[in-house]
Amino acid sequence: MYNGGSRLPLCVEISLRTVEGDCMVLETWCVGVLPEITDPSVRVTYTVYNRMGILLKSLVSVTRVTPAYKLSRRQGPDSYVICYRIYVGEPQFHNLGDGYNQVRVGQLSTPVGTIHLSVAYRTKMTISPQHSKDTSIMLKSDHFTPDFSPKHLRSNNSIDNSSLLSETLKVGAFADSVRPSAKDPPEVAEVPFSRLLIGNNQQQGVSPPTQSPISPPPTNQLQQQEDTDNGNITPRPPSVASHDDFIMVDLKTPFAGSNANTDLGLFYRECQSAPPLQGSGAEEPTVAEQVGDLTRQLEAFESSLLDYDNVITSICNPTVDNNN
Amino acid sequence: MNARSQTFELEVEGHQVDEAVASIFHTVLFHRSLGKFSYKQEGSYSVGTVGYEDVDCDFIDFTYVCCSSDNLDRTLKEKISGFSEALRGNDCPGSGQISLEFFQKKKTRWPFQPECIPWEVWNLRLELVKLNNEHERRLCRERVGELLAEKILYVAEVMNRHDYVPKMPNQSELDLIFDTTYPDVQPYLFKLSFTTSGPPSASVGSTVKKLIKETLSF
Repeated sequence: MYNGGSRLPLCVEISLRTVEGDCMVLETWCVGVLPEITDPSVRVTYTVYNRMGILLKSLVSVTRVTPAYKLSRRQGPDSYVICYRIYVGEPQFHNLGDGYNQVRVGQLSTPVGTIHLSVAYRTKMTISPQHSKDTSIMLKSDHFTPDFSPKHLRSNNSIDNSSLLSETLKVGAFADSVRPSAKDPPEVAEVPFSRLLIGNNQQQGVSPPTQSPISPPPTNQLQQQEDTDNGNITPRPPSVASHDDFIMVDLKTPFAGSNANTDLGLFYRECQSAPPLQGSGAEEPTVAEQVGDLTRQLEAFESSLLDYDNVITSICNPTVDNNN
Repeated sequence: MNARSQTFELEVEGHQVDEAVASIFHTVLFHRSLGKFSYKQEGSYSVGTVGYEDVDCDFIDFTYVCCSSDNLDRTLKEKISGFSEALRGNDCPGSGQISLEFFQKKKTRWPFQPECIPWEVWNLRLELVKLNNEHERRLCRERVGELLAEKILYVAEVMNRHDYVPKMPNQSELDLIFDTTYPDVQPYLFKLSFTTSGPPSASVGSTVKKLIKETLSF
């Protein structure tokens, strides 16, 4: 057995593996020979033989008292199994966790060296979750399969045909499988005005929020939607990039309605745009016109500054006004 | 010759006494037993094997290893149950000590009996505790199991110090060293004795221990 060449000990590592695939090293047994410590005086036939017997008996006795033994008695195919690994090399104690116990079972001097046997065993029996592999709950879900990754979808659908996409969508977990198609017109109808605002913001950059566009009266819904589809109301190019993003987000909404293009997309657009002004009437001029003659208005206001001053003065001094 | 001695102390519940004692003494005897010698001619013999088996305790969360020898087990059980009954009897103070002593015989001149010289003694001092409910009992099962595990590790450590054991005898003197009455195993000569009053040194020892404990607790 002992050839004088290898000085490395032989190790047996006992580990536990759960059905989820988590592993935990429970104990490491280590038997080695120290060739530099010899005892030439001992008789091999009696003393070494007998002491070796004692060492083996100690080995058997100690195996029954470590925590791993109790665990091994309770193993089963539906909970965990005990595994072993045998290697030649320095014992690896680092994977036994903090506070592991190291016990020297025994040693035995022979004329060719000293045999030593030791065991180190884990005392903290908590499986750390960092070893979780591809079998964790998140990845078992079908929400994140490669076929439905945003990248994949975008590359296949470079044109904005979100209605087609929503038909190929998988229904999210717990989601309603019926598509609320009746709701579509009013929700889509609000979209053009958001786009109008985005376009104005990007073109002019100075539009005050109070002059944001108008929410249409309910009776005009169908008409407005048609206009949108024709692209008559607003220039669309500046907002294309953000719409691509909508698609990406819409497709992956667990717990959302089955038509992913409605709820979250709408919410996102609402957040991007300023809220529509409630009190505005449909007959008011468009934003472009309003903003366009701002300069003229300012000039007019400045020219009639004196009038305003007079008005304020008259308000502040009603008695004078009355006397006049 | 002075015999070396080891002393363990344990607090157990009444029905755990037998298993607690048996687990330690069986482990010691397992280490102190050889296979049966069979002599071929003078100066030459072969040694048989020692079988071993696992024993699961009923009242302690513990498993120990013992020689698979029914006779040896019976010898041990008889003595241990005598101790257990005395310890758990009504007129017992609730503590006691049982000892496993290895000895060798030395022939003396006729008509005297051979002299018995002990060379290793294992003392186990037990104190009975009273438990009030099942929860405490469950904790006690685990606690005693852990304590016994420590004792077994200690037994293994002592055994592997390779202190004195009697010299291997000639065939004619075999039964001065070994108990050859068992058909399947050959332990060193041993005897079991117990006392339930506790030797006087025990109280001194525990007083000293108490003093040390109190000193350390500050």
